[in-house]
Amino acid sequence: MINENLVSNVVTEPYKYGFVTDIETEKISKGLNEEIIRLISRKKDEPEYLLNFRLKAFKKWQKMEEPNWADLGYKKIDYQDIIYYSAPKQKEKKSSLDEVDPKLLETFDKLGIPLTEQKRLTNVAVDAVFDSVSIATTYKEQLAEHGVIFCSISEAVKEHSALIEKYLGSVVPASDNYFAALNSAVFSDGSFVYIPKGVECPMDLSSYFRINSGDSGQFERTLIIAEESSTVSYLEGCTAPMFDTNTLHAAVVELIALDNASIKYSTVQNWYAGNENGVGGIFNFVTKRGKCLGKKSKISWSQVETGSAITWKYPSCILLGEESIGEFYSVALTNNLQQADTGTKMIHIGAKTKSTIVSKGISAGKSSNSYRGLVKMGSKATGSRNYSQCDSMLIGDQASANTFPYIQSQQPNSEVEHEASTCRISEDQLFYLQSRGIEFEEAVSMMVSGFCRDVFNQLPMEFAAEADKLLALKLEGSVG
Amino acid sequence: MKIIDYITEEKINLSTNLSKIQNFCASKLRETPLPKSQSETWRISNKQKLSSLLEYQYDLNSYQPNIPSYLTSKKAIKINVGNANQFNLKENDWQIKELNTKEINFLIEEKIINNNSEPTWTNLLNHSLVSEENLLGIKISGENIPPLQIFCNSKINHFNAKTLILLIDEKTTVDLLQVNLGDKNSSLSLTTYVWLEKEASLNHGVISLGNGTSNLLNSLDVVQKIGSNYKLSTIQMQYDFARFEVNINQSEGGGHTTIRGMQVSNDNEQIGTYTKVVFNGPKGYLDQLNKSLANDKSHSIFDGSIIVPKNAQKTDAAQLSRNLLLSNTAKIDTKPQLEIIADDVKCKHGATITQLNEDELFYMRSRGLTFAEASKLQLKSYYKEIIDSIPVLEEGLELLNHLIN
Amino acid sequence: MQEKMTGKEPLLEIKNIFASTEDLTILKGVDITIQPGEIHAIMGRNGCGKSTLSKIIAGHPAYKINQGSITFKGKNIKSLEPEERAKSGIFLGFQYPIEIPGVSNLEFLRVATNARRKFLKQQELDTFEFEDLVKEKLELVKMDYAFLNRSINQGFSGGEKKRNEILQMALLNPEIAILDETDSGLDIDALRIVASGIKKIANKENGIILITHYQRLLDEIKPDFVHVMANGQIIKTGDCKLALELEKNGYEWTDQLSQDS
Repeated sequence: MINENLVSNVVTEPYKYGFVTDIETEKISKGLNEEIIRLISRKKDEPEYLLNFRLKAFKKWQKMEEPNWADLGYKKIDYQDIIYYSAPKQKEKKSSLDEVDPKLLETFDKLGIPLTEQKRLTNVAVDAVFDSVSIATTYKEQLAEHGVIFCSISEAVKEHSALIEKYLGSVVPASDNYFAALNSAVFSDGSFVYIPKGVECPMDLSSYFRINSGDSGQFERTLIIAEESSTVSYLEGCTAPMFDTNTLHAAVVELIALDNASIKYSTVQNWYAGNENGVGGIFNFVTKRGKCLGKKSKISWSQVETGSAITWKYPSCILLGEESIGEFYSVALTNNLQQADTGTKMIHIGAKTKSTIVSKGISAGKSSNSYRGLVKMGSKATGSRNYSQCDSMLIGDQASANTFPYIQSQQPNSEVEHEASTCRISEDQLFYLQSRGIEFEEAVSMMVSGFCRDVFNQLPMEFAAEADKLLALKLEGSVG
Repeated sequence: MKIIDYITEEKINLSTNLSKIQNFCASKLRETPLPKSQSETWRISNKQKLSSLLEYQYDLNSYQPNIPSYLTSKKAIKINVGNANQFNLKENDWQIKELNTKEINFLIEEKIINNNSEPTWTNLLNHSLVSEENLLGIKISGENIPPLQIFCNSKINHFNAKTLILLIDEKTTVDLLQVNLGDKNSSLSLTTYVWLEKEASLNHGVISLGNGTSNLLNSLDVVQKIGSNYKLSTIQMQYDFARFEVNINQSEGGGHTTIRGMQVSNDNEQIGTYTKVVFNGPKGYLDQLNKSLANDKSHSIFDGSIIVPKNAQKTDAAQLSRNLLLSNTAKIDTKPQLEIIADDVKCKHGATITQLNEDELFYMRSRGLTFAEASKLQLKSYYKEIIDSIPVLEEGLELLNHLIN
Repeated sequence: MQEKMTGKEPLLEIKNIFASTEDLTILKGVDITIQPGEIHAIMGRNGCGKSTLSKIIAGHPAYKINQGSITFKGKNIKSLEPEERAKSGIFLGFQYPIEIPGVSNLEFLRVATNARRKFLKQQELDTFEFEDLVKEKLELVKMDYAFLNRSINQGFSGGEKKRNEILQMALLNPEIAILDETDSGLDIDALRIVASGIKKIANKENGIILITHYQRLLDEIKPDFVHVMANGQIIKTGDCKLALELEKNGYEWTDQLSQDS
């Protein structure tokens, strides 16, 4: 028999982003009420409409109940015990990176995201978000030459107010769900992207989210608008220090693609997952949704989910425009006591819309990994198609893998196809690789990444390598 | 007296012999007279249809069903639930014995009262209302058992409730066709319990045919011991509202389960099948196919879960949900689910929603068939796979023609 | 019993091996010694222990050695992991090569080849160098380069899987190769390709064990020794004439022998 312990050891790896940056922060007091929301809005010097947006969301949130349908077992969150705004203390307004606290730059250096001009990544523009605020955005000027706007959402509120007013909450309304409502009330920062008509964004855009403080939640908001015939590839990465308390992360991401536009959104999520006994870790309750508004528009989600104590996330596509395309490619790896409940919703409204779902779940330890998805063919979605494939890999006999696809069709001239399977790393496969001289660890990691190959192929080059490395890291450990 | 009033007004005291179960179930029903709409399996059920189903006159009596020729088998032993007298059929090598009240009470109490899991609303309703006459329990043992047909029906403008218990003894092989018939404007609540002992084998057909405006609440609960073989083939159609709940428990693993199900909905009907197969031991096997076909403004639902706990290593389970959506105004919901903890298992499921194959249709039409003829031929092949697997049925072709037309 | 003694250190020496799986004893005292340059054939019915013997040499974790020793180039390998054995030059050609979805055949071959090269203190090959090498070896088994871009053995025909095994053998350049029913399921053309591949790899330094039911592989590759196995033991050893005798008389007479011993 395969020594299950060996395999589990291989998927256990110490979290290497667990350090805390010692920096003076400005925090508001714990708790949530109307006054706190007004305070956040005031701190950000927001226009009236945004304050109203927040207050309306808060009123809705107060009336809503925390969902429990996702089968996630966790300790009740005390929403009054969370700090809703936390920012590193800095001089007023940063006109250049030189003025950013070196400690912050150092933090992002350590995370592999150097921001200074000399060291910054080539061909990827980065918006670095630290707790509640964006601290720097690289390549802004170069992007501006192409008319591309890439900045923090706070900045966008000031400089591109019309766009914000038009699109914020247009994909994920504040009343959408409990955590979206909470986010709408208290969101502090995030990234804003605007690609003008006909522009192919000259480089990949990327946001890097870092939670540093243990007692504040992170509530960022991302809004990406791709005008007619534009394209953009956007990457998102996340890490957090190791605390033995749970930190709440409730983000909202909204994507809008107009005629012939294409948005590719890739995430590598590696929030702190808690220790092997399930103590600590991030609660990752995220609402991500894209609207294919225009004809032949395309939104593609790819995600590699390896962190967080709990992940609750369903990046979705509303396929409104005729012949629009939605895609969802996901790898979710859970270990120890992690719980992941992730999947997608593909809502086909327009005619001849197409969607593809490929989900790969790997569960090890005592973790629980669920795919939950909805494919809906509306009555006008004639000639539309969906193909879904959900595969699970189980490592050890303590982990669980669940598949809950929901398929609904009201359009006879459309096709929906769903397939799911479960496998494990078989003793024979391992022996076969080993008998060719490949080390146990490498054999396991080869098979896991082989299992995820269909998804990795969809990631942008820089990210594919990072994802493979991340998975390999998770798989690295002491054998025997 | 209408069902709902009957229950809520505490009028239930149908039989002294069954009073413990009836009171237990009725008191639970009083707490929730209608299933909770938050409950996942009832969420998309049509509440209006459900409550109108309960509007019919409750009726203790039982009526001789009018059985169409294509549903009768000449060779089979026929039993009507409701008017069977105490019987004990015995031959040299086999026996079909009716269970007594004490045995029946014991078995139902085990299921409903002494069970960790909450009883389903469907079963609570059934047990609140079934009278002794409408409850049949039989134990079958031996070899060379002749085929069986068991009939249940509901009468026009009435609500009838029936319970059936089947014990299949060790190493006993039985072919059984259950036929449920519904008159116009009637409701049938039927709960069936099957126990398959070690190495027992049941080839079980269930045909539920209504009359367009009939209603059906059908619950089937099967416990399979190790080495047993259970094959279920079902067809349900022509109900305004039909709900078929199938719960199969391979209590020790090592069982063999095959399910072939089909449901057809027309007009404004809502027809649903909810299956749950649980493997409580290693080396279980499941092969499940559910077909649904939705026409007109109807709504077809399939919800199938497969549960493989830690102790069910080497389970081999496959489920396929195939759906044909034949109209612009019809709707299909399908939800195949896998819940797996054991790692050394082979589990897969699949689901498709399509219309009739266009290339095939075109091919046939290019050979001179009309669209309607070609569609009918395709539909026939769709039905045939299920009808062919139904046991005891002698006039499968005739049934097929009846269903198609 | 073996006549060809060279005085050199044997390549592989199996002494009085008893082995079991899931509490079932399968090998009941097997002895076999292989010198460099020798080709041995092991024949016998299904279930006689041939495949088990090959698996314990390669170190399959499901099989337990209860008694006896396996020495490879003077070193006891009983406690070595399968990959350590492979790197040091032991190769098992699988009867049923395993399919591994998603893992690229090319990548797999390169990692395996480099593991072996590293052990031999040879320079590891980068992707381009490896491509040159693998193209050369593909010739040997008449395989198309396109096979390398597919997942390991996935969707391969029986013949393609076996050729992929010989390709691996050619790349890993083993000192001892055990080929477990490499001939089964092959048509005559595929058999010739496989056999000629094996012959080209065989040399004075390495040893080969062919496990087979049939004479036809041995028509292509002449073994120096033929061993007949029954009931977990080698009951008779001879030269290639023994194989012909077996072909003629069937395995029934070996039953007699096995009872005698």
